[in-house]
Amino acid sequence: MANIITTSGLCKQYGAAMGVKDLDLSVPEGVIYGFLGPNGAGKSTTMKMILGLAKPTRGTITVFDKQVNRRNRLAILKETGSLIEALSFYAHLTGKENLKIISTLKELPDSEIDRVLKFVRLEDQKNKKAGQYSLGMKQRLGLAGALLGNPRLLILDEPTNGLDPAGIQEIRELICSLPKSFGITVMVSSHLLSEIDQMAGHIGVISKGELVFQDRLSVLHDRSESRIAIRTLDNIAAGSVLGSQGITCQEQEGYLLIPKLNDNQLAGYFMSFLKEDIGVVCIEERKKTLEDIFLELTGMVVKL
Amino acid sequence: MKGILLEFYKIRRRKIWVIILVLLGVQCLWGLWAFRDMNEKKLSQGYMQCLYHFTVLNTIMMPMVAAITASKICDLEHKGQTFKLLMTVMPAGKLFDAKFICASMYMVAVGAAQMIFIIVLGKAAGFTEPFPPGYLFYYFVITIFVTVVILSIQQAFSLLFSNQMVSFVIGITGSFAGLFSLFLPRNIQRGILWSYYGVLMPVRMNWDSQTRIADLQYIPVDWSSFWLLTGLFAVIYFTGRRCFIRKER
Repeated sequence: MANIITTSGLCKQYGAAMGVKDLDLSVPEGVIYGFLGPNGAGKSTTMKMILGLAKPTRGTITVFDKQVNRRNRLAILKETGSLIEALSFYAHLTGKENLKIISTLKELPDSEIDRVLKFVRLEDQKNKKAGQYSLGMKQRLGLAGALLGNPRLLILDEPTNGLDPAGIQEIRELICSLPKSFGITVMVSSHLLSEIDQMAGHIGVISKGELVFQDRLSVLHDRSESRIAIRTLDNIAAGSVLGSQGITCQEQEGYLLIPKLNDNQLAGYFMSFLKEDIGVVCIEERKKTLEDIFLELTGMVVKL
Repeated sequence: MKGILLEFYKIRRRKIWVIILVLLGVQCLWGLWAFRDMNEKKLSQGYMQCLYHFTVLNTIMMPMVAAITASKICDLEHKGQTFKLLMTVMPAGKLFDAKFICASMYMVAVGAAQMIFIIVLGKAAGFTEPFPPGYLFYYFVITIFVTVVILSIQQAFSLLFSNQMVSFVIGITGSFAGLFSLFLPRNIQRGILWSYYGVLMPVRMNWDSQTRIADLQYIPVDWSSFWLLTGLFAVIYFTGRRCFIRKER
């Protein structure tokens, strides 16, 4: 699969601090690429550099197989839609008038405004002032602006920020439909793993300005390993029983954690416990969640 | 052209002309007050009186008109946080130019309104001085030119700082600096941007301390000051434009 965005050794320095450090992103064409990282990790800075809103200290950015520079930036961006950080709109103008400004600059016909308004389900609110829109409607207006001209690439920076659950779902559905409906590649950033998990097929995880993981989301899912947690009335004796049968276990918060076993093996150990008069209170399968992996990757695991 | 038309489109319902009209109205009323007692001598120098007094009033009022117009036109981008959006569809330099031309149109309208007011006042008050179309046109050009130069500095600050108080403070400070500089030697005046209404004014007042009579007379164009201001304009405009282009969003 060809890459629509490639960055090589991308760096951004603010004073003495590196906001983004040696970033090698590869965003494949036709996918939703989730750009994940905690607040302040460098997601917005990276997206701004891709859009030419911030100048890289070092490194190169290639979009649509063309290396982005000051001269060709706007020509490349003609096929790109974006929504960066805060919502951009003129509060005193109507939704339609806001879109008219972008469509005029992109030299698009007025029919394009109606098309995107219909797609984001704002056609009935198009003559209302944007300042009177709800946050969800403003976000949809921003998305409509980004979709004007049916771009090949959409760069969305935390598009669900501040929305209520219904608004989040609505925006998520709209984003998820883009690659299939229009063949648009979407790069979407978030600090919420669950958000990206529900949208993206590919993922890049950034932490402290560095890319710590990049691959298909399924690869990250494969990393999550299952374990069996057993709680007994005598964990020490239970541990000895397991140890005598070559099973390594560790005790954690009143549970014995052992590797995942098949049902027959597990039933056998359960019988062994009963023979030794060890009461079994609870047996459960524990899977390392994506969140655990994310926290490990970003080095943000916090023990209370 | 597209960018300029869009600037006018963006300021729909912002009623920028209302505040400009109010300031212009205040200036005209102020001017009328200065002409409340017109004797024969004053009527014989009516247009000179107008050009002299309006130039002084312009020193006070026009920097404020420029500051408010620039602020209104630029502030909507800060409030809407639209720079990040616009910079992905148009060059920053073109946005700067379009805003400047749009705001300058308002300055041209104010200059034209002042000129019309002077002509109407001349007819209504019965000025006996022959109508001076050349000097009136010169006044019109100079008023717009000096205001547009001030506008360029105001716009640069209004675009670079989201807090519009910075721009207003510069406008008001400049206005007072320009007014006080009218009492200073000409070479010092030439160093203060806001004093150029006075430096380039087409009328001079001769004050005879013995007879205690003030007399007005037309003076030739001060071309050296005009070119100095043109140079200042180029430096201010392109420095402001460059700073705006280089600013990261």
